Amino acid sequence: MAQSIETHSTGGAREQMIQLFGKPWSGVAMLGIFYLILIAVFSVLSPYFLTLRNMLQIGGNVAYIGLMAAAGTPLIIAGGLDLSVAAIAGLTGVVISMLHGMGFPIWIGVLLAIVVAAAIGVVNGLFTTRLRLNPLIVTLGMMSIISGIALVLTGGLTRPLMVPGFNWVGSGRVIGIPIPFIIMMVTFVGLWVVMTKMRFGRYIYAAGGNAEASRLIGIPLEKTVITLYVISAISGAIAGTILGAMLGAAGPTAAGSQLLTVIAAIILGGTSLNGGRGSVWGTLLAVLILGTLNNGLTLLNVSSFWQDVTRGVVLMLAVSLDQIRTRALGE
Amino acid sequence: MATTVPRLGMHGIGKSFGRVPVLTDVDLTVDPGEVVALLGSNGAGKSTLMKILTGLYTRDGGSIRIDGHEVDFKDPAAAVASGVKLLPQEISVMPDMTVAENIFLGDMPMKRKFGVMQVDKDAMRVRSRDLLDQLGFANIVPDMLVKRLSVAEQRIVEIARALAGKASILVMDEPTAALTEQEAKMIFRIIRRLKENKVSVIYISHYLSEVFEISDRIVVLRDGRNAGTFVTAETKRAEVLAAMLGNTVDDLYDVGAPGIAGAEILNVEKLTIPRKLEDIAFSLHQNEILGIFGLVGSGVEVLGRALYGALGPLKTADVRLGGQSYRPMSARDGKLAGIGFVAAERKKEGIIADLSVRENIALPFEERFERGLFMSQAEESQHAIRWIGELGIRTRGPEQKIRTLSGGNQQKVCIARWLVEGVKLLILEEPTRGVDVGARREIYGKLRELANRGYAVLILSSDVEEVAGISDRSLVLDRGRIVGHFQRGAKPAELMAATGNDPAFQAP
Repeated sequence: MAQSIETHSTGGAREQMIQLFGKPWSGVAMLGIFYLILIAVFSVLSPYFLTLRNMLQIGGNVAYIGLMAAAGTPLIIAGGLDLSVAAIAGLTGVVISMLHGMGFPIWIGVLLAIVVAAAIGVVNGLFTTRLRLNPLIVTLGMMSIISGIALVLTGGLTRPLMVPGFNWVGSGRVIGIPIPFIIMMVTFVGLWVVMTKMRFGRYIYAAGGNAEASRLIGIPLEKTVITLYVISAISGAIAGTILGAMLGAAGPTAAGSQLLTVIAAIILGGTSLNGGRGSVWGTLLAVLILGTLNNGLTLLNVSSFWQDVTRGVVLMLAVSLDQIRTRALGE
Repeated sequence: MATTVPRLGMHGIGKSFGRVPVLTDVDLTVDPGEVVALLGSNGAGKSTLMKILTGLYTRDGGSIRIDGHEVDFKDPAAAVASGVKLLPQEISVMPDMTVAENIFLGDMPMKRKFGVMQVDKDAMRVRSRDLLDQLGFANIVPDMLVKRLSVAEQRIVEIARALAGKASILVMDEPTAALTEQEAKMIFRIIRRLKENKVSVIYISHYLSEVFEISDRIVVLRDGRNAGTFVTAETKRAEVLAAMLGNTVDDLYDVGAPGIAGAEILNVEKLTIPRKLEDIAFSLHQNEILGIFGLVGSGVEVLGRALYGALGPLKTADVRLGGQSYRPMSARDGKLAGIGFVAAERKKEGIIADLSVRENIALPFEERFERGLFMSQAEESQHAIRWIGELGIRTRGPEQKIRTLSGGNQQKVCIARWLVEGVKLLILEEPTRGVDVGARREIYGKLRELANRGYAVLILSSDVEEVAGISDRSLVLDRGRIVGHFQRGAKPAELMAATGNDPAFQAP
């Protein structure tokens, strides 16, 4: 029986390459190697780089970005895309600081921001599923609306947000580990469990792998995708909370510039923009790589403008690699 | 015969995909101004032969001559340059361009104005007018947007485009598929004009009556070989049908005895979908395989999915499933009511390519493999392994990606995913499309086995031999209506004849 196994491949170098790149973990393994190389290079170039303090620093700094990238990963796997997430983070800080200014306790502001974000996620989800609009357009529009509202509410100014207990969420540490980093890791682990161990996770991969087949199989496609938009939006609210607490201030445009980093991390992490493929661990490594790149270049006194260039180059390289990999897999 | 050089001479054409021969030593000649009908049931090799002629496929053996000169098309553009033009079944026009622009799409006349090269709209208009007049369609205005035209008129624009490109051999694949009888007459009128202009036409159609009306000669393919050439005027339809289908039932379908039909599972009455289905009524029982045969465009591609719920709510229909009124709003409703559905387009609508065999099988009923909050992968695997064994799915194991399986094995996975407690009715569209002969026989055997286990099986297919071969009862659909009822043992030719409205073959 074993001899009659039917596959398309026939051996040779191409076969070996497909075997290698076809493994689900191959992309993550390649990222891991790249990450180690990056660390090695910076360690050689800067004496301040490879210290526990600096490493934890990186983890804390990228946490709010990682949070958004983590939540964006299952969404993109399911065939969606959320460009409004960073704008939601910006609005969140504004809402919290304004409510606090009016005398409400800080947690009311956080709660309200999360509720507002969830509502935005529902709207994003409904527009893309029910009306079958392109998520790029829908969430781009939503991004513009939200960042516009944040600017209107603040008049474009950054508002102070100094509340001792609250700021601890951004800058505090538990056994030396930055709290934002802990929140991020909990999110990654939680999403990994949902995506690989729960029924909802099966639906995520099915929806992105073949939406039409999924519909005909009778899985709740719309509910799945809308839920993911909500999760993404809420991750934006939590990221905005962390950022506000870290900075002790809420700027309407504080997080907006990180949108590209979020999307870049997801793609770099090996999640296919066409949906159906990807993992949160790839995203996590990519977030750490992008954060390390920033940190290392800063330590080497490279201008932050060059850091944008570097990030773009890394992203394009990653996308090219992904494309080559997809082609190698054939069909 | 030897007095004129044929416009087209294809000789000894051979082609195989992998180890499967699709064409063996096929000949086809067409004289200038001749209309040759190319007939054959699904999988007979018609489209492969035409794809070789039009440069989409390369041939493994044989020769092609045009006007006596040997040609070897490397790509479709080379074929077009030699005057060979394919009009595919789906009309391909640019709806937002004018008639004239569509006709000269490939090669617009240019002129220099104010020193800049630009499209010569006047020349284009005049030449379009000439061409349409020549075809006998003075009523089509060159400046009109193509989307304002009827489907038949769009077809004519397409033909005019082929002529503007100096086509001397036109391949028409089911040119009347989406047209009414009246509109089909327009196409025939054009074909007669083309004949007068010495354009050669290869006409592919399933409709025998059309073929007999328009063709000079009929070439029949069966199983990738020539199965007969007939001069239309001297031939009876029965001879052509016999050549197409043979009169022996293949042992392909000899896969076990049918059981005795049990309780009624499905009862459909007054099912109408505007412009697609008209007053459909039938019933289906436990242990029974009901086959519905229809040609492309007959409604056979919508009936199954409409019943499943995939086309949304049915406005006009009285359907009972397992004795209870059934009104699906979505595919999900069909599933929850106990229907399993296997779609015609396996790649687009069936498999989820990047997922494993296990996931593809478990997907519709994941809640049954849930233990508490979490999925039990062990139980998913166990279930998958069971059906891999029972359906004989050839795979390295449940974790193999379904993408890497052969078509037949992918199809078995698409069937396996519905074999759980609670599903009573299986609806399968084109159950063996793109599946090789060996796997076809296995699939028929498994369908018979499933019917004997108590499933009601509904097959919708445009493969007449399949429907005649596997069904306990069969229905024939034509232009949205049921036009024939047959019992087990009916010959494919009888089913086919029912669609052609040929009195000689009308069902008793």
